[in-house]
Amino acid sequence: MAIPVTPGRRPGRAWPRWADTAVGVGILAVLLFPIYWMINVSLQPGGSAVGTPWLPVHLSFHGYSTALSQQGRNLLTSLVVALGSVAFCLVIATPAAYVLAQFRLRFAGAILFGVLISQMIPGIVIANALYTAYTDAGLLNSVPGLILADSTAGIPFAILIVRAFMTSIPQSVIEAGRVDGAGHLRTFVSIVLPMSRNALITAALFSFLFAWADFLFALTLTTTADVRPVTLGLYTYIGTYVSDWSSVMATAVLASIPAIVLLVVAQRYVAAGTTAGAVK
Amino acid sequence: MFRSTRSRKAPAALASILAIPLTLTACGGSDSGSDSGGTATLRVLDYYSNEPGRTVWQKALEACASQAGATISREAVPGATLIQKVLQQASSKTLPDLLMLDNPDLQQIAQTGALTPLDTFGLKADGFAKGVVDASTYQGKLYGLQPVTNTIGLFYNTDILTKAGVTPPTTWEELKTAARKLTSGSQYGLAFSAPANYEGTWQFLPFMWSNGGDEKNIATPETAQALQLWVDLMKAGSVSKSALNWTQADVNDQFRAGKAAMMVNGPWQFPVLDADKALHYAVVKIPAPAAGRPIVAPLGGETWTVPQTGNKDKQAKAAKVVACLNSDESQVNLAKQNQTIPTRTALLASFSSANPNVKGFADQIPTARSRTGELGADWPKAATKIYTAFQSALTGQADPAKALEQAQNG
Amino acid sequence: MAEYEPPPGSVPPDRVGRWQSRRGQDRLAQLLFLAPAVIYMLAFFGYPVVKNFLMALQTYSTSTFYTGEAPWAGLANYRAVITSSVFSKALLNTVLFTAGSILGQFVIGLGLAVFFRRRFPLNGLLRSLLLIPWLIPLIVSGAVWRWILDKDNGALNRFLAAIHLAPGHPGWLTSTSLALLAVIMVNIWIGIPFNLTILYGGLQDIPEDLYEAATLDGASGRQRFRYVTWPLLRPVVSVVLVLGVVYTIKVLDVILGLTNGGPANASQTIATQSYHLSFVQFDFGQGAALGNILIAISLVFAVIYLRANRRAVDE
Repeated sequence: MAIPVTPGRRPGRAWPRWADTAVGVGILAVLLFPIYWMINVSLQPGGSAVGTPWLPVHLSFHGYSTALSQQGRNLLTSLVVALGSVAFCLVIATPAAYVLAQFRLRFAGAILFGVLISQMIPGIVIANALYTAYTDAGLLNSVPGLILADSTAGIPFAILIVRAFMTSIPQSVIEAGRVDGAGHLRTFVSIVLPMSRNALITAALFSFLFAWADFLFALTLTTTADVRPVTLGLYTYIGTYVSDWSSVMATAVLASIPAIVLLVVAQRYVAAGTTAGAVK
Repeated sequence: MFRSTRSRKAPAALASILAIPLTLTACGGSDSGSDSGGTATLRVLDYYSNEPGRTVWQKALEACASQAGATISREAVPGATLIQKVLQQASSKTLPDLLMLDNPDLQQIAQTGALTPLDTFGLKADGFAKGVVDASTYQGKLYGLQPVTNTIGLFYNTDILTKAGVTPPTTWEELKTAARKLTSGSQYGLAFSAPANYEGTWQFLPFMWSNGGDEKNIATPETAQALQLWVDLMKAGSVSKSALNWTQADVNDQFRAGKAAMMVNGPWQFPVLDADKALHYAVVKIPAPAAGRPIVAPLGGETWTVPQTGNKDKQAKAAKVVACLNSDESQVNLAKQNQTIPTRTALLASFSSANPNVKGFADQIPTARSRTGELGADWPKAATKIYTAFQSALTGQADPAKALEQAQNG
Repeated sequence: MAEYEPPPGSVPPDRVGRWQSRRGQDRLAQLLFLAPAVIYMLAFFGYPVVKNFLMALQTYSTSTFYTGEAPWAGLANYRAVITSSVFSKALLNTVLFTAGSILGQFVIGLGLAVFFRRRFPLNGLLRSLLLIPWLIPLIVSGAVWRWILDKDNGALNRFLAAIHLAPGHPGWLTSTSLALLAVIMVNIWIGIPFNLTILYGGLQDIPEDLYEAATLDGASGRQRFRYVTWPLLRPVVSVVLVLGVVYTIKVLDVILGLTNGGPANASQTIATQSYHLSFVQFDFGQGAALGNILIAISLVFAVIYLRANRRAVDE
């Protein structure tokens, strides 16, 4: 490792903090170059991919106007689905994580192992099976259907992360709550959840990202334009005759904005270190 | 158009990570459509999801439906997802009343039993180009009618060729010489598309077939010579190695940007190319192995079918729509608007004199072949062998003969 | 749900009875807490896997969709995919792809996590922005990377030629020796945010005073990493690695988007080959068989790793 491990520099060294910032910006510039390229293409007038200049000299916003007029609704759908998935993941995963963390259960090990194994199943296998099940259940082309499917990545992940955090909540705190006469549900809601705030935010953030980026389920489980997440909306631009890359990239840029805002806001709470005991 | 032109590779591949309902459902099942008599609404499924094709087909379908006393409810999905959608619908018994299929897919779908033979409705394919009929026929029965078709030809940038004093090549030798002469700096003489998928196979076919190669057995000297041509062009530096990863749309981008003086591509690129006023181009037939030998080009385009929905009344109406789409007038009309070619041979001469830009393509239609005419539902396996072989030879893993032999033996 | 209050006026139960009912109540509450997750997992994971498993034992073609007939094939599908000429190459590529991706993601992710432990202006913002690659739909980042890596006009080759590093315009996606490397590179790029986030979180949990103590003992930066950071980070590292392998081994869209497994199968993995069998050649039985082999490999890895890890913890 080239970078020495020092949390906070000791005073007296000639290495000002802004130099670290400069290094950080440099790293960012390299890693985000593809993102820059995306923005660059989105502002080019031609929409062709060959020999794109390094800078968008002839600014054109036609990609953005197309994207806004045609993908606005899809962006909203994506947002609803992703937020719905976050809520669903937390509602399903946290109670389970709590029980798995705080109580000795004979089958807890088996459940955790099952959760881990679930991560190994390729998405297509799930999507294939869901299609038929959804046809029978009338869940095709529905927001709830997409929320359920998009949570396949979030729920196992949330169970692992939140459980790992909750194991560190002292038993005595929970017992004290119980002695005060609170029921299981109230103990859980008013004591355990507030203590796990950071773990919950982490789980929520990841669930959001998983659902936001989903393309497979969107493609599989929707057949009409009524319910169409923006990932699928993007795909419709890349078609038979015209591949309008400016619009594709403009949509991608617009689609990233809500997610980036959320990221920046949530970042300070991220307590991913709680995964320490997630897989043991 | 046809399977491989629909989209760029990345999205196409991603998109086909699709859902197919992998369950067993019992056979039978019937559409309990209640409306018999009066105006029926026909469900239509096709893949013209983008403009301008979307509107062109919408208008044609509406006009034909109203003649048949019906209205339409149409769903147009992205190209690469059509087959998966059809299979989903087949298993959930929700097939549409009128289904458009890319012609090489027809036999595969007909084999499942999901389509109705068109002779049930008294439809025949008299006067259609033979290759087109072959593609729509499964086990001796006609399952679809294709109003318009397309194929690939050799596009060339007239400015670049004039400046270099090169005339459009008509034979393989001329092609090699011209491509070499036209290569300089960042400009390649020729561009084609040779990725590891059906799109690449489609581009290789005119070379393979014109030289007498055949998909039944690709380990033959004829196919090896055709592959040698591709290898020579790439080795000489006249074609970029990137061709291994280019879709036809990428090839078109290269040509448009002046990075390639000639390209192998189809008439569906006209609107994109014409949008660039500074670009001057023309189209000729794919060069032949030797002077005077005929070109055998592959036929593209979509065929219209009537699935087994169990609703006799709607099926009959759907068949009427198919017939209407294939009338002389409709063929010419669709061909004009879609930059394609009518499939009734009697229409070809007048059509290409009225639309000179498609002449290079139209001239190849009478001798053109369909991909599935010979192998039917086994075509995908052969197509896979073909692209496996040329990828292996073009990357220098094996010489053409060896590569073909390895691929043929799986 | 669990809040039981005796109806007014009822006779209070005796001590033993109350204890028993309380305990029963606990059990019931725990089951109710667990049930939704368990039901969800069975429906959305158990069912598809069972189905896939059965499908691998059948001859499953396009006709099956319409007729519903899928004759029993026994182990023929497994035999066919294992003896196919692509299998050994795909297996090797899978191993290389997984190992290369994990190594790259982990080393860069850890390096960045350590770097962001420093206090400097805009730290939080920069760290958040580094997660962006994850937010971009793969359809888009795949297309962008294809342009960047393009042999003739790609930004990477233009840059390399400009600084005279690789004037020969290497064919990142079109040379059989580079294609796998290129897809690994892109997959590393996509995986960095995940590694960074989790490892950074892990580092934050290491108490500051341990470093101070180490510094007082005269430990160098390297030694502090070796003796403080690494041992305390180990549990997090194990999570990152296990999940990383499990996620990477089944990566499909990155490879399909960039090279489609080509050129000449140079970047074909088990996952992409399984996809090709099912969705290009419509041989769903064989595709499922290969998919199951992939799950099995992943499972074996996880079990071995967990065993080894448990032993290490016990010692």
